[in-house]
Amino acid sequence: MTFSILASSNPLEHVIQHPMTTLPVDLESKWGIVGWVLTPEAEITILSDQITMIAAAGILLTLLMPMLAGKRRGTDEIGRLVPTGFANFLETICQYLRKEVAQPALQEHTDRFIKYIWSVFFFVLTMNLLGLLPFPAISALFGTHIGGAATGNIYTTATLSLLTMLMMVINGFRLGGMHYVAHFCPGPLWLAPLLVPVEIIGLCAKIFALSVRLFANMMAGHILLAVLVGFILQAWGSMGATGGLIIAIPVVLASVAITMLELFVAFLQAYIFTFLTTLFIGMCVVFHHDDHGHEESHAAAH
Amino acid sequence: MAKVIFFLVASLLTTTYAVASGGEGGTANPFAGDVGNAIWTLVIFVLVLIVLGKFAWGPILSALQQREDFITDSLASAKKDRSEAEARLAEYTAKLDEARAEATKMVDEGRRDAEVLKRKIEEDAKAEADNILDRARREIGVATDTAIKELYDVSGKLAVDIASKIIRKELDAGQHSRLIAESIDELNASQKN
Repeated sequence: MTFSILASSNPLEHVIQHPMTTLPVDLESKWGIVGWVLTPEAEITILSDQITMIAAAGILLTLLMPMLAGKRRGTDEIGRLVPTGFANFLETICQYLRKEVAQPALQEHTDRFIKYIWSVFFFVLTMNLLGLLPFPAISALFGTHIGGAATGNIYTTATLSLLTMLMMVINGFRLGGMHYVAHFCPGPLWLAPLLVPVEIIGLCAKIFALSVRLFANMMAGHILLAVLVGFILQAWGSMGATGGLIIAIPVVLASVAITMLELFVAFLQAYIFTFLTTLFIGMCVVFHHDDHGHEESHAAAH
Repeated sequence: MAKVIFFLVASLLTTTYAVASGGEGGTANPFAGDVGNAIWTLVIFVLVLIVLGKFAWGPILSALQQREDFITDSLASAKKDRSEAEARLAEYTAKLDEARAEATKMVDEGRRDAEVLKRKIEEDAKAEADNILDRARREIGVATDTAIKELYDVSGKLAVDIASKIIRKELDAGQHSRLIAESIDELNASQKN
């Protein structure tokens, strides 16, 4: 049997993306390091387990959310203002994000960005939560590999972070205007050659940290679960099928506990990603808040 | 029992998955992925943003804003109504006090008027009674005087008649009158005694 191979297999193997269809493209030889970053394997993934989960998240959201948002108590003037059933849940989250997260950072621009903020939160949350569902285990029974946490992919989180950066820069110029340009040089003008690169590096670092934070958190939880499952393989390898099944019981207990934690982390990381996105945008478009608030937002960003 | 079965089934599934997917081996890169993931993420996220922006976030945002406005308006109008009601209450209370004071005043006035009227009636009655008494007294006096005078006249005539008859002597008019006067004086004197 091949149990010795199984036992030594990398737990990362269960967490990373498994491409289904790829298109060979060698950008590295054309664009050097940029090409390598874009296509490290000299191919573009057309379809993979994680991509199906991104799509599943998109389909779920576009089907469910409009339905939930429309659940109202009645059709008259007052009934239209009163949500009912699951719409209460949705509205509570939306209102919390709007009033407690967005409003302090974005102030008068809150409703301008709130649709983007809500979308980011629910998109990330749905991908996080779908990653917790045992699609890989079930699809493995049918010989395929579907599922996994789409947010456990640095390209996915980096794309969302880069969108945040785009929102920051574009709206900084559009709404912040000269204030935004001036914020790249917070000191005296003669220090500009030093300060401007530092500020630009700071912007990139924020975005980099934003993407890595989400990616690493989701990846770590799934690696932990994969390591736990790996114990079964090792037991199976050394003690046979009976040993594997006996070890499986405490492993499943521990996995349930870790999955509970992961459930919390899924919400937490979606919240943190949204919160930081909001803060970063707020720092680029709101320039009249006091120093205390500014320090606070900086502290939260680190 | 159900929990035990659940754990057994879950253990079996987990084991199956571990064994089935464990055979791939090889080196695994945690940063696996490429621009394909990025493009899919971007496309799907933008679609989600557009669709939800139109069909979910739009209605929710407008409902939230409308509800905020509605609550603000309701509170404002409730506050306004309350202050109006309070003002009206104060007004009515003042009016009520005023009416009560007026009623008291009216009752007092009536009582005073009645008192005055009573006293007047009493005084009038007393004066009337005094009047009647006086008049009666006066009339009695007049009647007494008349009766006395008549008595004098009659008794004078009687005395003359009696005297003439007794002395059978004719007296002249002057002696006559003197005799009468003397008789009266005597009568008076005797009366005074």
